[in-house]
Amino acid sequence: MTVLEVMERAGIRDTNLAIAWVKDAIHLIESTQAENLKTKKINITRNQRDYDLPADLISINSISVLDTEDDNKYKKIRRISGGHYITEDKNP
Amino acid sequence: MSFDTSSNYFWRINGQKMQLYRYRKNSFLTPDVNGRINADDNELIYPDETISEGLRVEYNAYVKPFVDLDPNTLATDTNETTWTNPTLAEVTSPEETSHINLNRMLSLACVCFVQAQDAAKQGNIQLKEYYMKEFYKKLADNESNKRKISISLSSPVSSVR
Repeated sequence: MTVLEVMERAGIRDTNLAIAWVKDAIHLIESTQAENLKTKKINITRNQRDYDLPADLISINSISVLDTEDDNKYKKIRRISGGHYITEDKNP
Repeated sequence: MSFDTSSNYFWRINGQKMQLYRYRKNSFLTPDVNGRINADDNELIYPDETISEGLRVEYNAYVKPFVDLDPNTLATDTNETTWTNPTLAEVTSPEETSHINLNRMLSLACVCFVQAQDAAKQGNIQLKEYYMKEFYKKLADNESNKRKISISLSSPVSSVR
């Protein structure tokens, strides 16, 4: 469907506004549905806890870590919540 | 060498960063190098090894929102074996002729969203809520279109046949 068709169906005359709202709609759709899945791989560094998330991320589907002792499979890991008593770990 | 990573690693989000922890099981019976006994047998530590491309993030992304061709038509459709999807190029400066890179149902959901925003702009909140309801209904329809669920019910033994 073209932007023009959306504008005609919705009765909107302002193209820029319609495009902005369509972008918002796509963002909302991607937040709730798995339409465009991407994967990125990041090096894990010893002693480093914080890692950058991809800039185009809308919602996380899964996080995995490479298991080098099981035929290099990426295995899904779990999310933790709550606080931890470790604030910095210089010698893990 | 990383092992059993599904139970040894954990993640959480803190602002713009993802924090990665490793779970370590200690022995609270064996003293450490300083002769102390750890009262807690389990702890979360920072990753204790370097793993090249060790972290895999799978996520929903904002990919090619506007494209040059209709994504809902096949490029070639000669018969059931020779068909191809169109090669879509992203339109970075969208215009009225640009296509939304969504299927038909989600494009119709976009129309409802635009109508909702227009109603909100005019101050008609009731109408906005109506169109947003239609928007989410279309999202639900789109999701159910991908799933075929069959339900079988067993008839009770004593039922009249």
